[in-house]
Amino acid sequence: MNNEPEKNSITDKVLNKIKSGEVKMKSKTYFILRMVLLILSTLVLIFFIIYFVSFIIFSLRASGVLFLPKFGFPGIKIFLNSLPWLLIFISAILIILLEIFAKKFTFVYRRPILYSLLAIIMIVVIGSLLVEKTPFHSNLFWKTQEGHLPIMRTVYRDFGVPRTGNIYHGVISEVVGNDFKIETPRGEILAIVVSSKTRPILETDIKEGDAIVVLGERKNGIIQALDIRKVKKDSNLFRSQRMRGYKLLVE
Amino acid sequence: MEEKKYKQSDEEIAALIQAGDIDFFEVLIRRYKEKMMRYARKFLSDGEDINDIVQEIFIKVYANIQSFDTKRKFSSWLYRIAHNELVNTLKKRKKNTLPLFELDTFLPHSLRDDSLRQNLDRRDIQEMINKCLDQLELKYREPIILYYLENLSYKEIAEIMRVPISTVGIRIKRAKKIMKSIFKKLEYNL
Repeated sequence: MNNEPEKNSITDKVLNKIKSGEVKMKSKTYFILRMVLLILSTLVLIFFIIYFVSFIIFSLRASGVLFLPKFGFPGIKIFLNSLPWLLIFISAILIILLEIFAKKFTFVYRRPILYSLLAIIMIVVIGSLLVEKTPFHSNLFWKTQEGHLPIMRTVYRDFGVPRTGNIYHGVISEVVGNDFKIETPRGEILAIVVSSKTRPILETDIKEGDAIVVLGERKNGIIQALDIRKVKKDSNLFRSQRMRGYKLLVE
Repeated sequence: MEEKKYKQSDEEIAALIQAGDIDFFEVLIRRYKEKMMRYARKFLSDGEDINDIVQEIFIKVYANIQSFDTKRKFSSWLYRIAHNELVNTLKKRKKNTLPLFELDTFLPHSLRDDSLRQNLDRRDIQEMINKCLDQLELKYREPIILYYLENLSYKEIAEIMRVPISTVGIRIKRAKKIMKSIFKKLEYNL
């Protein structure tokens, strides 16, 4: 009962502030714009993460690192050492940031974080694999090589460069006896020497134009092969293959 | 006009205020002032600045009323604003506050329907709350206040705290357990 005047004073104070114009009602447009901004920021973040993760997959594939598990346990060991952990860490941070953004939406915060996190990871993985299947990254890479898109040049500068000195990915450009030459995605020609140290090649029909991954030591531009594996060829990765494809299209 | 004011639902009044009839705001203040005072008092567990905080809550309600969706429940929206204001007050005072991440919001929990049992012990719980609420962590204190003292549903509490409904259930369950152990220590016979 003693609090009654105080409570009334709350009502009076609030109403006085409203009537005097000290407190103003924010417009509906303000809230609509805020919501649009939130949706756009979330979408931009999703696209950015997909771009980032697909670039990681693309660069791993181009460098041949993605094919390392084909070489068994030693390959898996090098594979783990070769992963771009900093980029993976940054992607994880961005995914957490996206989860924080997504929690602003009713349909997200009503459910346990585990569900929304799994949904985000699924969207990112599927989106990245789809983007990676397209010539998007290779087109950007070749454009930067031709001097266009100078800002992107820094991003694609180290594209396809193996992080360990033991793995080489390329298309066979010439077969000389047991040995052969490969052209890497960056256009470098490397000589591959097959010796008694080389594990017998399982795929007997290796021929010119095949894409392979070689595990071996490099000395003076010559790779002493320890193991060789045939991989699925991606014409988008190799300039000569792209040019051939282009010629066919023109013809 | 006066009669109309008192017959309309909160949501209808909010719609009128949104349309520019700001005199109706007084009705909302009168309807919720007591509840907000009680909620703030229990939430902060001390008597200081309660009037100022409640005043600030209503000012924020007025300023942001255009963001209220009149198809949803007004009281949940109001309590959400109050929750934010009270959490911010605690942050400013660097007192017990809600962490950014809680493990109980991460995993799904099964929500067993024990409403019959809850109704049976509601009076006991209310007695316990009055005696040992101060000793409860904020994340347990708030759902207990909203459920047992403000009579809100799990769904409404989940909307206010922005946590999954199952998390509300698990927090209330744990809060009751903690309160019982506090009560035992205080040698109350339940």
